[in-house]
Amino acid sequence: MRPSWISTAFGVTASAFLALFFLLPLIAILARSAGDGSALASVASNPYYWQRLGFTTGQALLSTALTVALGLPGALLFARFDFTGKRLLTAAFTIPFVMPTVVAGIGFLALFGPRGLTGIDLRGTLLLVLLAHVFYNYAIVVRVVGGFLEGAAPRLLEAASTLGAGAWRGTLRVSLPLARPALLAAATLVFLFCFTSFGVILILAPSPRLATLEVEIYQLTAHLLELGPAAVLVVAQLVVVGAITLLYTRMQARVAVALPARAQTLPRPRGAGRWLLIVNLVAAGVLILAPLVALAVQALQGANGTFPSLDNLLGAARASGVLGFATLGTALRNSLAFATASTVLALGIGFAFAYAVARGRWHALDQLSLLPLATSPVTLGFGYLLAFPLLVTHPWGIPIAHALIAFPFVARSLLPALRGLDPALAAAAATLGAGPGRILHRVELPQLGPALLTAASFAFAVSMGEFGATLLLVRPEYATLPVAIYNRLGRPGPQHYGAALALALVLMLVTGAVMMLLQRRGRSEF
Amino acid sequence: MSLHLSELRKHYGATRAVDGVSLELGERETLALLGPSGCGKSTLLRLAAGLEPPDAGRIVLDGEDITSLPPQRRRFGMVFQDYALFPHLNVERNVAFGLVELRWSRADQRARVAELLDLVGLSGLQDRRVHQLSGGQQQRVALARALAPRPEVLLLDEPLSNLDQSLREALKEELRNLLARLPVRAIYVTHDQSEAFAIAGRVAIMRDGRITQVGTREEVLERPRSAWSARFLGHRNLYDGPALAAVPGAPAAAEPVLLRADMVTLLAPAAPDTAIDAGAGAAEAGATIRRARRDGLRWQLELDVPAWSLELAWEGFARELREAPREGAALRVRVPTAAWVRLAER
Repeated sequence: MRPSWISTAFGVTASAFLALFFLLPLIAILARSAGDGSALASVASNPYYWQRLGFTTGQALLSTALTVALGLPGALLFARFDFTGKRLLTAAFTIPFVMPTVVAGIGFLALFGPRGLTGIDLRGTLLLVLLAHVFYNYAIVVRVVGGFLEGAAPRLLEAASTLGAGAWRGTLRVSLPLARPALLAAATLVFLFCFTSFGVILILAPSPRLATLEVEIYQLTAHLLELGPAAVLVVAQLVVVGAITLLYTRMQARVAVALPARAQTLPRPRGAGRWLLIVNLVAAGVLILAPLVALAVQALQGANGTFPSLDNLLGAARASGVLGFATLGTALRNSLAFATASTVLALGIGFAFAYAVARGRWHALDQLSLLPLATSPVTLGFGYLLAFPLLVTHPWGIPIAHALIAFPFVARSLLPALRGLDPALAAAAATLGAGPGRILHRVELPQLGPALLTAASFAFAVSMGEFGATLLLVRPEYATLPVAIYNRLGRPGPQHYGAALALALVLMLVTGAVMMLLQRRGRSEF
Repeated sequence: MSLHLSELRKHYGATRAVDGVSLELGERETLALLGPSGCGKSTLLRLAAGLEPPDAGRIVLDGEDITSLPPQRRRFGMVFQDYALFPHLNVERNVAFGLVELRWSRADQRARVAELLDLVGLSGLQDRRVHQLSGGQQQRVALARALAPRPEVLLLDEPLSNLDQSLREALKEELRNLLARLPVRAIYVTHDQSEAFAIAGRVAIMRDGRITQVGTREEVLERPRSAWSARFLGHRNLYDGPALAAVPGAPAAAEPVLLRADMVTLLAPAAPDTAIDAGAGAAEAGATIRRARRDGLRWQLELDVPAWSLELAWEGFARELREAPREGAALRVRVPTAAWVRLAER
């Protein structure tokens, strides 16, 4: 069918929004860094910044290697076997992926912080940062690689077994070579996330020795007000991250077309495979659940060790006027309001974009939807500060930034659903007298329910947990839960730590509830 | 020297996919497993290959019990319905996959691959990626790959079902010649009777997890055991035994009876209305054409034979009729006694 005027209107709207709130800030940053010659020279000649680049790259590589080492066996086993509780576990593995960084950070503090449950204080060590990064990204490897293999590998492994290759030989000669593109794509994504790590570092390792570029940009902007050098660092980071994102989109495209998926029942694990599976799952389960459980336990612990106790929650609910902290109620209200606004915005723009790409003549924009992924939250916040100085006095900067951060997730959830719609249905509706608007309303939207729900819960969860951009754009009266948590963590004293725990527990529960909607409702192109 | 499947059973929950199947496959023999989709024939093949463990029963190959042997140690070649070619390997490495497991030298692998590609008519395509091949070529690579390690038994799971009609006809012929020439025994699973009868010497009919009949092509086609098999094989004239009391030559039976339309001839109308040609072992009667339908080059007629109170379906070429059939026209049918087949069950 010919593209309708609606797809054109959608394409124009989405492009205009992206140009205004994504490209313009980036251009402002570029202009700032290019216009300030002395900043470039001072950054380039300062060995400290080179160290930061080296450290950022090094820790990201190390995190990626660790995550792959732990996640690959899991992915292979997941793709190979069916077992009781597999669906539940798959769902559990996505928890870290959507959990706010702040929650994970506090969770690890609750385990290995100065007041942690284990009594081992690892705060400020690289080890703790790496642990948190593995916690975050394990699921990416298992789901991307496992999901990729699950479609075709079992069948090919059967073929291999009739040709004399048993379980080990089949893994070596079929699964691993097949998984390579997916593994590279997953590793690239993990590297990307770790390279721009922000919240984890701020909370778990607040020392200049372990600062990533992202943290450095934030410090320069928010505390030192050195916008010139910050802009230079942003551009440097953009170059690295942009190159890696390009690499990722290339590989992701290969993953998307390579294997013919085919529904198949998988065997149950037997023998050695069964024990490997159990060990792997227990390790992963502990890694993922321990911080969250520790967080919940500590949050519900009273000052004198009583359990359960509401002391911390009540403490968080009380305003501490002197220090200007947001109360639990205010922070929760702000978070929910921003999340609602940004979900509506992200859904609108994401749907317009996906519709224009899938239905109109906007295919060229397809890979563009991943670009905001390449732009770290702090970069985005920084860009807004430069491009829209007026927005800073206004709360709208925050939901717009959140919507942009959620945009890739939304677009990537809706695109496959839209592409999966049978075009013959729209054609049939047209022959029955429906115009483009009516087709959208009566034929296409009703079929997209699950995908829209997935996209909405993604957007909501992203906004609830967003930290970097919010921290730069926020004013005290608009403090969200993550910001309120971070503010309290920054003060000494057990009562502030307790309040941070309580706020984190609330954030965890709200995000978890949103995630329940997300489970098993649709698939996205990641 | 043979493959024995005895009393194999496989249940999935309440579904009895394979429900006590016994089969024997002799040296160099090709057996077709013919049945409608969902009858359990593919599951039976997977049991034979060792891809699924049977719930009960035994598999014995040349005197050795291999029931619990894993597939990689059975040396059964298998051609999968969707071919299951390895997308990360080129044609040569796909065909050589099993040879690598047998630790063949690289040079031997190369020679064997060349030999097999020659056999299936794909010489020179060694370096192609499998996704660059057409469906028919992929099918041949899958066959070459299964044959390369010289399997004890070749298992083919609906190997032609993903191809279009004309290609299927051509490959059917090729596969028949190939299997007849090679010293390999094969089980060929299909739901298409023309494939089964073209390729295999012996045919087993499967229904609801059980083998209802095994025999040569002729036995199965001409003497189906049950009304269900007869219908499945395309026979259309099935009657209750007692309903044929008025028909001369028809067997007096309580079971269902089949009239083989391929033995019925059509003649010009003549008196008397019904007659018995005892010498030739046939009966004749007047009939009218109730419906005439063209199906390609053939005519399908539905005839009424009032003297015998019988309806029968006939099909054939126009030359077997004296004139273009008209509905309502009169003619005469001649039914040899041998055309009646008593069936053992419904």
